[in-house]
Amino acid sequence: MAADILLTILTVVFALMVVFSKRTVVAAFSLLMTLLVIGMIYFQLGTVFLSAVQVLVNAGAIAILFVFVMMLIDVEQFTNNRERNKWKLIASTITVLILLGVFAIVINNNIESLSAVNLSDNSMKTLFAKLFDVYYLPFELATMLLLAAIVACVVLATHDKHQSEEELIEAHNVEEKQ
Amino acid sequence: MSIYYYLSAFLFCLGLLGTILKKDLISMLLCLELMMGGVGLLFVLFSRSTGLIDSQLVVIFMMIISACEVAIGLSLIIALFRKKQTIYTDDIKIITE
Repeated sequence: MAADILLTILTVVFALMVVFSKRTVVAAFSLLMTLLVIGMIYFQLGTVFLSAVQVLVNAGAIAILFVFVMMLIDVEQFTNNRERNKWKLIASTITVLILLGVFAIVINNNIESLSAVNLSDNSMKTLFAKLFDVYYLPFELATMLLLAAIVACVVLATHDKHQSEEELIEAHNVEEKQ
Repeated sequence: MSIYYYLSAFLFCLGLLGTILKKDLISMLLCLELMMGGVGLLFVLFSRSTGLIDSQLVVIFMMIISACEVAIGLSLIIALFRKKQTIYTDDIKIITE
């Protein structure tokens, strides 16, 4: 029980830092820590494989990808002193608090039926037997999705070479005229 | 264990609040990841409370989808930054420009 509370407090603190920190880099590293602690919670709940995948994929790859993109576009050049709309802040905070209250009431009413039972067979063998037997079609679709995402990333992030060449030629022509 | 149910609801709501309030696209994507983390935790908790292993498979698929989402989102941000030199949502008013 003590470990439960400790992990919950850690997650809450890091999650609050993601949303309320002024610097985006601090937010990214707080997200990394949040995902890491969620991985620890998975481990404590007995789902060891998911814990490893969470640490490797979510914390290790995705959070670091954010930091790489921040380095690429030099995020620190944007000063974070944009004017905030006060009414938007109040309205969205109240809405989210009401949503949180609804969630809390729903969880509170069903808390007896949500207690932990022993997993009958929690081994990786069972997990993957089910993945490749029952869920083989979603698995194949997921591979297609990943492939499409790779192609989309390459197309979107590749610099348009011809366009920049045309701009260079135009700039050169303007200089010659002057 | 029951405290984790409240934690997952809290993470989802906090991510939603951040997505609404933040002004730059990278912070909005960070908050979306926070929401995904909350939902993933809820699926693992369902797996523990029902005794079924299927919920864990849902978490695996969710990780695949969240990886795709982040990759495409970040490359869109880079493409936008090349064109407009900004990552703030206020500066991007007309999408077809």
